[in-house]
Amino acid sequence: MKTREANPNFMNGVPELLILKLLQQEEMYGYEIVQAIRNRTDAVITVGEGVVYPVLHGLEIDGALKSRRKTVNGRRRIYYSVTAAGSHRLADLSEAWNNLAAAIQKMLTGGQHGEAF
Amino acid sequence: MAKPFSELRECLLRAGVAPRHVRRYLTELADHLNDLKAEEERAGHSPADAESAARIRLGGTDELAKAMIEQRQFQSWCVRAPWAMFGVAPVLLLSGAYLVACLILWSGWKFFLPGNDTPFVQIDGFAIFYFGIGRVLYFGAPIFVGWGIGFIAVRQRLRTVWPFVGLILITLIGCVAQVRVRRPVVPGGAGHVSMVFSPDPLLRAACFMVYGFFRLW
Repeated sequence: MKTREANPNFMNGVPELLILKLLQQEEMYGYEIVQAIRNRTDAVITVGEGVVYPVLHGLEIDGALKSRRKTVNGRRRIYYSVTAAGSHRLADLSEAWNNLAAAIQKMLTGGQHGEAF
Repeated sequence: MAKPFSELRECLLRAGVAPRHVRRYLTELADHLNDLKAEEERAGHSPADAESAARIRLGGTDELAKAMIEQRQFQSWCVRAPWAMFGVAPVLLLSGAYLVACLILWSGWKFFLPGNDTPFVQIDGFAIFYFGIGRVLYFGAPIFVGWGIGFIAVRQRLRTVWPFVGLILITLIGCVAQVRVRRPVVPGGAGHVSMVFSPDPLLRAACFMVYGFFRLW
């Protein structure tokens, strides 16, 4: 029997989703990723600056990201970009997030049991 | 480079995070910290204020460590499967070294000493070098493997139990291993080299130690 996945924390998977989405557009290094998330979400979502790296490394181990060392302005950086597996993962995560967001929106705007607020 | 994060490094290694992941994490954190400092300085802060502001933005040691420790995929194999790393792998390594040493002995006997009943005779020229490699491998393998275990244990801040088990295993095998050779059945043919694991040397050493202990006492 297929079991339904629980959502113990609504923010679960959000950093992954945002990182994959950003890196799908262009390769970036850690600092750039954190700044980009802050700028593009108008600072509504702020990822812990240092804790972004375990997420990046985990995604790389899973094969969703690949990295390469690049020297820019005399500094060696580790740039990350999305792999084909990462694109699939992004599609899955996006779908899951859209479903969740739609469900919450439906709840907030009133479902079959009337207005929530 | 990783000096500002020495506490974090210790914390991660003691929690069993693999050294290669720790190294990379600290390298990227150090780069990130420099970027944050530069950003804070551009915003008009003094270098000291910029440093402390950058530190706060990067996260505290506990927060940074927790993010890494929570993911099991970053744990080293020495923590995930210590029985394999300190029980099985050293024995396999030692077996491999003994196999190569026996092959060197057998091939050297065949090529340099054809017709001899044993390879343990006086040799000269290139044969000294050739047999020397086998000899170093045979006698050195338990020591090298033991050093390897010690090195890994210290590098990864491991508790002593499993490395100690590995060292005991290697010591026991190293003590009881013996090379045996049998002369060729056909004159001029290849002899037979094998290994036996006899407890005799161990028993002799134990008797000697007991005897020595009572003599001293």
